[in-house]
Amino acid sequence: MTKFARPTVWRRRRGPATLVQDMNASLTAARGRRGVPSAAFALVALLTLSACAEDKPLNTFEPRGPQAQMIDNLMTRIWVIMAIVFVLVVGGGIALAIKGRVKAEDFDYEDLPYQRHGNDKLEIGWTIAPAVLLAIICIPTVATIWKLEERNEPQELDVMVIGRQWWWEYRYDVDGDGFFQDANGDGVVDDKDIEWPLELALDNDDLSIANELVIPTGEQIDLVITSGDVIHSFWIPRLNGKRDAVPGRIHTWSLEADEPGKYNGWCTEYCGLSHARMRMSTIALSPADFETWYANQMLQAELPEAPAEGEVASPEWAGRQTFEQVCASCHVVDTPGFEYAENFVAPLTAKAAPNLTHFATRSVMAGAIFSQYSEDPTGRLIDADDDSFDVSNYLGLADEGRFNDAQLRRWISDAPSQKAMAAEDQRGMPAFPQLTDEDLTNLVAYLATLD
Amino acid sequence: MAIIEGEPLALPSGTPDDRPNPLGVFARPHNATGFKDWLTTVDHKKIGIMYGAAAMFFLILGGVSALLIRIQLATPNNTFLSADAYNQVFTMHGTIMVFLVVMPIGAAFANFLMPLQVGARDVAFPRINAFSFWVFLFGGLMLNTSWFLGGGADGGWFNYAPNNGIAYSPSSGIDFWNIGLLIAGIGSLTGAINLITTVLNMRAPGMSFMKMPVFVWMTLVTQFLLLFAIPVLTVAQVLLMLDRQFDSNFFNVEQGADPLLWQHLFWIFGHPEVYLMILPAFGIVSEIIPTFSRKPIFGYPFMVFSGVAIGFMGWGVWAHHMFVSGLGPLSVSAFSVATMFIAVPTGVKILNWLATMWGGKLTLNTAMLFSIGLVTQFTIGGLSGVSHAIAPSDTQQTDTYYIVAHFHYVLFGGALFGFVAGMYFWWPKAFGYKLGEKLGKWNFWGMVIGFNLTFGPMHILGLQGMPRRMQTYDDAMGLNLWNFVASVGSFILGVATLLVLVNAYLSSRKWKAAGRPDVGPDPWDGRTIEWSIQSPAPNHNFDVDPVVTSLDDFWHRKYAEDESGKIRRVATGAQLAQPGNGEGVHLPASSYWPIVLAASFPIIGYGIMFTLWLTIPGGLLLVLGLYGWSLEPADDLDLPHDHDDHADLAGVGASHD
Repeated sequence: MTKFARPTVWRRRRGPATLVQDMNASLTAARGRRGVPSAAFALVALLTLSACAEDKPLNTFEPRGPQAQMIDNLMTRIWVIMAIVFVLVVGGGIALAIKGRVKAEDFDYEDLPYQRHGNDKLEIGWTIAPAVLLAIICIPTVATIWKLEERNEPQELDVMVIGRQWWWEYRYDVDGDGFFQDANGDGVVDDKDIEWPLELALDNDDLSIANELVIPTGEQIDLVITSGDVIHSFWIPRLNGKRDAVPGRIHTWSLEADEPGKYNGWCTEYCGLSHARMRMSTIALSPADFETWYANQMLQAELPEAPAEGEVASPEWAGRQTFEQVCASCHVVDTPGFEYAENFVAPLTAKAAPNLTHFATRSVMAGAIFSQYSEDPTGRLIDADDDSFDVSNYLGLADEGRFNDAQLRRWISDAPSQKAMAAEDQRGMPAFPQLTDEDLTNLVAYLATLD
Repeated sequence: MAIIEGEPLALPSGTPDDRPNPLGVFARPHNATGFKDWLTTVDHKKIGIMYGAAAMFFLILGGVSALLIRIQLATPNNTFLSADAYNQVFTMHGTIMVFLVVMPIGAAFANFLMPLQVGARDVAFPRINAFSFWVFLFGGLMLNTSWFLGGGADGGWFNYAPNNGIAYSPSSGIDFWNIGLLIAGIGSLTGAINLITTVLNMRAPGMSFMKMPVFVWMTLVTQFLLLFAIPVLTVAQVLLMLDRQFDSNFFNVEQGADPLLWQHLFWIFGHPEVYLMILPAFGIVSEIIPTFSRKPIFGYPFMVFSGVAIGFMGWGVWAHHMFVSGLGPLSVSAFSVATMFIAVPTGVKILNWLATMWGGKLTLNTAMLFSIGLVTQFTIGGLSGVSHAIAPSDTQQTDTYYIVAHFHYVLFGGALFGFVAGMYFWWPKAFGYKLGEKLGKWNFWGMVIGFNLTFGPMHILGLQGMPRRMQTYDDAMGLNLWNFVASVGSFILGVATLLVLVNAYLSSRKWKAAGRPDVGPDPWDGRTIEWSIQSPAPNHNFDVDPVVTSLDDFWHRKYAEDESGKIRRVATGAQLAQPGNGEGVHLPASSYWPIVLAASFPIIGYGIMFTLWLTIPGGLLLVLGLYGWSLEPADDLDLPHDHDDHADLAGVGASHD
C-alpha cells in the first residue's frame, strides 16, 4: 500500500438500507441462540449489539486509555445493580398490576381487600437498604473522581485546549515558559496571574494547531482547557470523559491513549450556531512518530519561490499573494521573516482563526467536519474508523495530489454554505465571492505546500 | 394550625342586602357570563381549568417543535431545518415544555383540586389567583411572539452565559425568553404565596396536617419550592436583562465576569424546578393508586415525609448539572454523594406505591394505567439518574442523549403520565362526565409505546456518544438506526398524546347528545372529600364546611366495621354527598383588575426590548391596575348561588350556622 492510498472506509457509508441490515443482523444473532427466540431477547440483543458495534467512533463503552478505562470499570458493576433494580421494580409493578386486576364485571363494593395502612419495619428497611447500597457505591465513585484529577508532576508535555466558535485550537508550550505572557511578553508561571481577555494573555511563541490534538501514546498528557468565546466542552469518549472549556477560567484534564490511532470527539456544551459542526479528534502517535511530528511542526513554512523577471508566477506563489491579501487578516502562516504584529488579534469575536502553518499535516478541516483527503464527492468527513488512520497524514509526508480539492475550494469561496456561520457578527469565516476560480486554484496549491 | 371547628371558612354573609349597589369605575363585574365571565373570574376551579387549557395549547406548540426536531434528526446530514432554525426550535421546545406546559398543568391541578381537597370555597387570595394565571399566560404568549418578531431564543432552555450575551446572540430571541419568563415567573411566585396560605389557613375543620391528602402535601412542598426557586431565576434574568439591554457586565468575561455565576444561579433554580414539576404528579398518583387498589396508601407518613425530604434535599444537589464545569473534585464529590442519596426518598415513594397495589383489588382503568405507567417509567428515569449522579460516569454522559432520555423518562414518562392520569380521574369533577375508557386505553397504550420507542433509544444514542442540541450528525458516527427509530416513535407519541384532547371532545359530545346524564358525585368510589360534592363541582364547592375526622375522610364515612370487625359499605357516595345548593355562601366577586394589571407587564417588557417609550403606557396601565385593584369595592353583592333553597340542608354534615 502506498502512502497515497485512498482511505477505504468511505465505502462503508451507511444509508437507510443499512438500517435494515443492522436490524436484521441483530435479530439473526438473537435467533441464533436456540431456545430463546422471544422478541424480548431479540430486543435486548439488538441493544447490546448496537452498543458494542465497532463502527461507533464515539462509543463510551470502548475505553482506549486508562482514564476512560477507570470510568468503565466503575460503571460495569453499577450497570448490573441498575439492571437488577430495574427488573425487580418495573417487573414487580407490572406483575402486581396483572395479579391484582379485578375485571369490571367482578367488581363488588363489599369485597374489599385487606386494608393494610403500612408497615414501619418495612419502611425503615427499604429506606436504609438503598441508602447503604448507595453509600457503598459512593466509595469507588469518590475515589475515581479524585483519581481523574491526578496530574503529572512535574509536567512533561502539556497542551492547552482552547474552544473557539466552532473549532478547537491546541497550543504546545514549546519554549517552556507557560502558556501565557504578561504585558511585557514575559512568561507567566501562575495561571492565576493572567489578565483576561485570553487573546492578549496568550504567549504568541507557542505552537498553535487546530482541530486535531496530537499526542504520543502511553503517556498521560495533561490538558489546560479554556475558551476564547463561549463555553464549549472537550470530549474524546474513548479516552476520557468531558470537561468544559469556560472563558475566563482554566480547567485541567488528562488524556492518555494506549495505542496509536484516531479518537474522535464532539463539542458537548451547546456553543451557538454551529455547535453540531464543532468536532475534533485526538491523534495518538507512537513516541517516535510523535517526535517526528513535533519536529516538523516546529519548522516555519517556506515561502514559495517568487517568479524571476519575465517568468510566469507559479500557482503557489500567486496563492501566497492572495493569501496575504485575503486570508492573512485572520489566519497566520508562520514563515521566515514573519513577526506577529504587536498584540495581533484577528478581527473576530473569538479573536482567532486556525493557524495554517502546517495545514497539510492535518487530516480534517473546518472544525473537523471535512476530510482533507476524502474521496467522498460530498466532502463529508467519513474516515471515522480506526482503519482510516494513516500516520503519513500527520508527518508532512502526504502528497498534495491527495488533497480534497473540491471541498477545499467550496470552503474557501463560501464557507457559510458548508457550515452555518455568523460572519456578519465576526463569528466564523465569511464567504469570499470575489475570489475567481484561478484564485482558488492558486490558494489550494499554496495550502498544499504547508506540510 | 388552629382551625376552630364550626367556624365558617368564607366571610360571614347572608345578611339582607340593603347596601347601595357600589357602581362606578371601580365596580366589579356582576353576573358576568360567557367570555366576560372567564376573563374576570376569580373562581379557583375556572382558573385551574384555564391553566389546563393554556397548557394544552402550549403543549401543541411544544409538541410540534419536538416533531420538527425529530424530523431533522431522522436521517444524518439532514437539511430540513437550518442550524439557526434548529437551535431556536430545540430552545423553544424545552422552554415551552418546562415553563408553559408542565408547570402550568401542575398549577391547574393545584388550583382546581387543592381547595376542594382541603374543603375550602376558594383560595386565600382569589384576585391574586386570577392575576397569577393572566400574568403567566401573557408572559407565555409574549415569549411565543418571538416567532414573529425576529425569531425564537437560540440559547437552549438553560441559556448559559456568555452565549446568552448580545455578542453571541444578537437577535432578540433571548430577550423574549428572558423577559417573557421573568413575567411568567411573577405569576408563579404570587401563585405560590397564595396556595401556601390556602393550605396553611383554609383547611376544613379537623383536617390536621397528617390528615391532608398526599396531593395537598405535594402541592404544599411544590409551592414552597417555587417560592424559593423562582426568585433565584428572577435574579439571574434581571442580571441578564441589564447585560443585554443596558450594557452591564455581570456575565461579560472580558470585564472579569465568571460565566459559572449564571450556571449556579440557573441550577439553584433549575434543580428544585425539576422536583416541583414531578411532585404534583407524585401527589396525583398517590390519590389514584389507593382509589383503584381499594386500599389506603401504604405508609402515608413515609409518603409525606419522603416528599418533604425530596423538597429539602432538592436544594443541595444543583451542582450535579455542573460536574464537568470545572468545580474541582471536592465540590464534585460532595454533590455526587448528595445526589445519590436523593434517590432514597424517591425510592421510598416508588416502593410504597407498589406496596399499595400489593394485595389490592385493582381496577385497571385509564387513570390507573397511567399511574402505573408513571411508577414504572419514572423508575427507569430514576435509575439512569443514579448513573449520572456518579460523577465520573456523568463525565461520559452529561450533555449527551442519555441525559435527554433520562429527563424525558422523568418529566414525560413521569410527570406528564401522572397529569394525564389526573385528567382522567378528576375530569368528571371538573366537567360532569367521564372521559371515554375505550379511547382512553388507546391513549394509554399509544403513549406507552410511542414514548418508549422515542426515548428508550436515546439511552443508547447517548452512550454511543451523541451529544445533545445537535442540529445534525454524520453518517459514519453509527447513530442512524436509533435516531430513525426515535423519530418514528415520536410521531406515534404525538398522535397518542393528542388522543387526550380527542377523547375530551368526543366524550363531551356523547354526553351532551345523551342529555347530560349526571355522573354522580362519586363516580370512582373516591377517598377524599372532593368526592362528597356534586359533579361538576358547584360554584361554591361545599354547601357547608366539611368536618374531617380522618385521613381519607370520605371513604371512612362510606365504609365502617360491622360487629364482626369486617369492613362493610354503610353508605354510597351519592347518599352522603352534599346536594350542592348552598345558601348564604359568600363567594369572592369577579374582578376586572387582575387581567388589567397582568396586561401591563408584557407592554413594559416590549418597551424594555424595543423602545423605552413603550414602558410609559405600560407603566401607566400598571399604576391604573394597582389603583383599580385597591379601590375596588371590598364588599359587594354576592354572586348568585345555584339554588336558594336552604331547607334540605338540615342534618347534612356539620352546619356553620
